[in-house]
Amino acid sequence: MAKLIIKDLHAEVDGKEILKGIDLTIDQKETVAFLGPNGHGKSTLLNVIIGHPRYRVTKGSIFLDDLNVLKMSVDQRSKAGLFLGMQNPVEIPGVINSDFLRASVNAHNKKPISTYNFYKVLDTSTKELRMPFDLATRSLNEGFSGGEKKRNEILQLLMLEPKIALLDEIDSGLDVDAMQTVSDVIRKEQEKGMGFLIISHYARLFELVQPTRAIVMINGKIVIDGDPSYIKRIDQTGYEFIKTELGIEIDKDEIDMNKVSLGECGIKEIIR
Amino acid sequence: MKKEIILCESEMTKYETRSILLKENEQVQITTNSNSANYIFVSDFSNSSVLNICLKENSKMQLSFLAKHNFDKAEINVDLEKGASFTAYFADFSKDKEKLKVTINLKGEGSTAYWHLASLSANNDNKDFNVNINHIAFQTTALSDNYGVCKDQSKLVFSGCSAIQKGSHGSHTRQNSKIMVFDNSCDAIARPLLKIDEKDIEASHGAVVGRIPEDHLFYLTSRGLDESEAKRLITYGYLKPITRGFFDESVREEIISLIERRM
Repeated sequence: MAKLIIKDLHAEVDGKEILKGIDLTIDQKETVAFLGPNGHGKSTLLNVIIGHPRYRVTKGSIFLDDLNVLKMSVDQRSKAGLFLGMQNPVEIPGVINSDFLRASVNAHNKKPISTYNFYKVLDTSTKELRMPFDLATRSLNEGFSGGEKKRNEILQLLMLEPKIALLDEIDSGLDVDAMQTVSDVIRKEQEKGMGFLIISHYARLFELVQPTRAIVMINGKIVIDGDPSYIKRIDQTGYEFIKTELGIEIDKDEIDMNKVSLGECGIKEIIR
Repeated sequence: MKKEIILCESEMTKYETRSILLKENEQVQITTNSNSANYIFVSDFSNSSVLNICLKENSKMQLSFLAKHNFDKAEINVDLEKGASFTAYFADFSKDKEKLKVTINLKGEGSTAYWHLASLSANNDNKDFNVNINHIAFQTTALSDNYGVCKDQSKLVFSGCSAIQKGSHGSHTRQNSKIMVFDNSCDAIARPLLKIDEKDIEASHGAVVGRIPEDHLFYLTSRGLDESEAKRLITYGYLKPITRGFFDESVREEIISLIERRM
């Protein structure tokens, strides 16, 4: 069983420190619910684990068993067994979904998969996710609805079979049926031994996938690491108890002012 | 200089397929009959070859080019009469120094033209594609799509003017030029130009020259593809759509193989 070990991790983006000392260990058998208000570093942590070039690690370490993740390229991290199901998967015009999937599967295997076997796996996986097969023949994520993009992320997870999957708001954009389908897939993969770190703002997904643990990130630090009962508590009462019980002041999600201000033209527009 | 005339006499209901090779210094004139439908495959260009096309009333033509060798400079001139429709796909995998000038004259009311270019420029290639579309009659429509990949020390230029002349009201024109740049040492220029001399028209252009977006590379590499494989896949996706302009499966396969070999 693989183990992801993060120690004293600090990371910044555009010179601003977002992660301020993360200590976290996830076993492959676990499903960890990752909670916290917007803008406190949850997505940043997932992106840092997978190696997004926008983020700079200034201190600390990430190991997958004895592999130093921070010394690995993004593709090596994927091949080592890490997967990030993205919050906003990019659209890549011209790149056919099935070509991409096949190239990804081949990148994970020593021997290239045969055409027959690839389409067999693809067919089984799309059926499991109740995805129209034609999504596989279209440009990658281009013109996909929000729900289709998220299912496409899970399709990749199914085909690449990572050891630990990091899912960033995978439930946003999913309708009730799609949420059930995706959570069924997650449950199956849990049984097979895949580990999960799942960000979501809604208890519904967590009710369906039954996490074994819950962590809460506030101000770039993990302030709660405990049993799944925190999910229900936060869903019902919000994060206020963190301030009253733990004495931690929650930073407001800062939004930079738009540098363009309303000028003369705008005023004239209003007068008219 | 040779001059050859091909008359296409097929019925409107199906495309008549012809394959031609433009030889050095050769000037070929193709004239369609009214109400005919023609598919012409140009298997290669040669130095200083000129292709002149005249589409008679309500005729339609799809012209698909596959340029594999050096053609130095070449010209394509197309005149469209009333209601005629012209579609061209130009797959450019030529080498060295090339200059292609295309002039499409929408002379008849309601005539339409679609131009799609995919060009791969590598090593020390120096390529210049100049695509001009003249809207001379009213309610004419044109779309010019130009896709390029520029790498190594090569140079690639997409230029051209879409002109809507006086009297061409109700016309629509659009130019798209996109060049993906791979190396610091290559040079790519997209220079679209619109000249409008009439009201009640729609005209637009878009030009993009740049590297592969970082987030596209990140997405693909996060699924295990190494950077070179990710770039290959993105480039392949950029140029591959040109294959839909070729009716013959073996030519489509040849284009795919050219993309893979030259990348």
